[in-house]
Amino acid sequence: MSGNRGGRWLAALPMGILAVATIYPLLFTANVAMKTRREYVLDRFSVAGAVRLDNITSAWTSVGMGRYFLNSVVVVTAAVVLLLLLGSMAGFALSQSRFRGSSVLFLGCLAALFIPFQVIMVPLARVMADTGLIDTYPGLVLAYVAQFLPFTVFLMTSYYRTVAPEIIDAARIDGNSLYGVYRRIMLPIGAPALLSVGILNALFCWNDVLIALLMMPSAEHRTLMVGVTALRGQYSANIPTFAAGVLIAAAPVLLLYLFLQRQIADGVTAGATKG
Amino acid sequence: MSNTISRPSVRRAAAGRAGAGLRGERLAPYVLVAPAILVIVGLRLWPLLLGVNFSFTGDGERDGASVGLDNYADLFRDPLFQTALRNVGLLVLLLPIAVAIPGLLATFIYLRVPGHRFFRSVYFFPAVLSPVIVGAIFNLLLAFDGPVNAVLGSVGLGPIDWLGDPHVAMFAVVGVHVWATFGMALVVFLAGFATLDGALLDAARVDGASLPQTIWHVIIPGLSRTIQFVFVTTMIGMLTSMFGLLYVMTSGGPEGSTYLPEYYIWIQQGQMNRPALASAASTVLFVIMLVVGLLQLSLLRRAVKES
Repeated sequence: MSGNRGGRWLAALPMGILAVATIYPLLFTANVAMKTRREYVLDRFSVAGAVRLDNITSAWTSVGMGRYFLNSVVVVTAAVVLLLLLGSMAGFALSQSRFRGSSVLFLGCLAALFIPFQVIMVPLARVMADTGLIDTYPGLVLAYVAQFLPFTVFLMTSYYRTVAPEIIDAARIDGNSLYGVYRRIMLPIGAPALLSVGILNALFCWNDVLIALLMMPSAEHRTLMVGVTALRGQYSANIPTFAAGVLIAAAPVLLLYLFLQRQIADGVTAGATKG
Repeated sequence: MSNTISRPSVRRAAAGRAGAGLRGERLAPYVLVAPAILVIVGLRLWPLLLGVNFSFTGDGERDGASVGLDNYADLFRDPLFQTALRNVGLLVLLLPIAVAIPGLLATFIYLRVPGHRFFRSVYFFPAVLSPVIVGAIFNLLLAFDGPVNAVLGSVGLGPIDWLGDPHVAMFAVVGVHVWATFGMALVVFLAGFATLDGALLDAARVDGASLPQTIWHVIIPGLSRTIQFVFVTTMIGMLTSMFGLLYVMTSGGPEGSTYLPEYYIWIQQGQMNRPALASAASTVLFVIMLVVGLLQLSLLRRAVKES
């Protein structure tokens, strides 16, 4: 059966149905976002009369999704830059191992990998409140960095371990300090890994809602995902505008997926195969 | 692993030529590691200890005072937390399904079903969407007068109150979670397949093995490590990444039937202002995860050995 053609076509049928079930929810939402309220109430399934963007613009401006969008962009960008910087520095040092305490430090990062956020949520909120970081952008950025740094360090360490030691030796003989080796050799060599890890981290931070809810109580500091949860309460009577808000929040991820699907999948498998 | 830091000739050359002091060079790796270690220790490991410590202190008037195991007693008496634990049990029961679906699909894609490339990228897509967005979309789809019930109605079934019936809601949320995350497991399975020995599959085909036989005797033993990994990560995902869905789709309702420990922690901390009780729930969740993880590993090891 695994070899005959008929069997393969037979398997393709349920898979095709499942593929439709995977795409349909998003198409339905996009369609609703193009409708007027009247169209939606009269018939949920009719295809929107025209490509109308008024729901999108009203979600962007009057609901404040535009502001939340910018908040998310700023926070996620800062968090990813910091994650890549700290992660690659530590990953490089740990990959060179055999300095005193290096294995203990690496194990510490590995242990932190297995602490779910829910387990440290309460004390972290208190630490952030005590340091005055709660409800501030630096505080949220720091919370994201702390959350995804163990994973980043772990991946960068395993990547840098595959770099040929001769390259580093040569750079040292040319008179580079360890910092010079990091800046001139390891950062450029690490580019593919940094890209993969950076995309994954951006996705994680962009999609998060729990950390943002915990760290940013005030409305003007909301990130986009928290904005979506607030939409539900405000627009339960105006489903097309609600759908438009959801679409705005999904759009950047959709674009990222269309262009960088490979790197995302590679990042996921790199984390899996090295584990 | 060669190491460049302790190779004297190289180090001398570098130090001499760069004019950097030997001490500075010896400190360099620590300087590079320090920021990351500070963040990880200060904002992850330290809070973990703090949280366990918290769980033995009081809330409200007894803030900071030591109360022994009172929080844990309150916790296990609370019907909402009992429901949360029952739901964890339900997740464990549903786990094999959540692993089998991506496993089977990955098998078909690996065997080059027509359109396998297309299927791969379509199936992986929901995995990159935020649970919040997925939850919001399914609020529309699972509405009482929504598309899902319309489809059921057309074949003479339903309508089902997906998110309003306490006996159904949890299954609906878990179903959506599986829909949204099976792409991740699928990609991991495909990476595992890449390491599988093709000759074994060819041999099975030559011997005329049926597909179920091939899966049972060749693929499952060959992918035992991948299967273990997917089991553990799927379970961790079920216990720690459903918050967004619960928050958007049901808010723990109807009648508290969709509580999970993580949602309970959030409610006690944020809405009920009982951080110490929430810390106790956190500690219990951590223990559950450790136990489940270790149990699964040992069970799977045994199963793999027997087959």
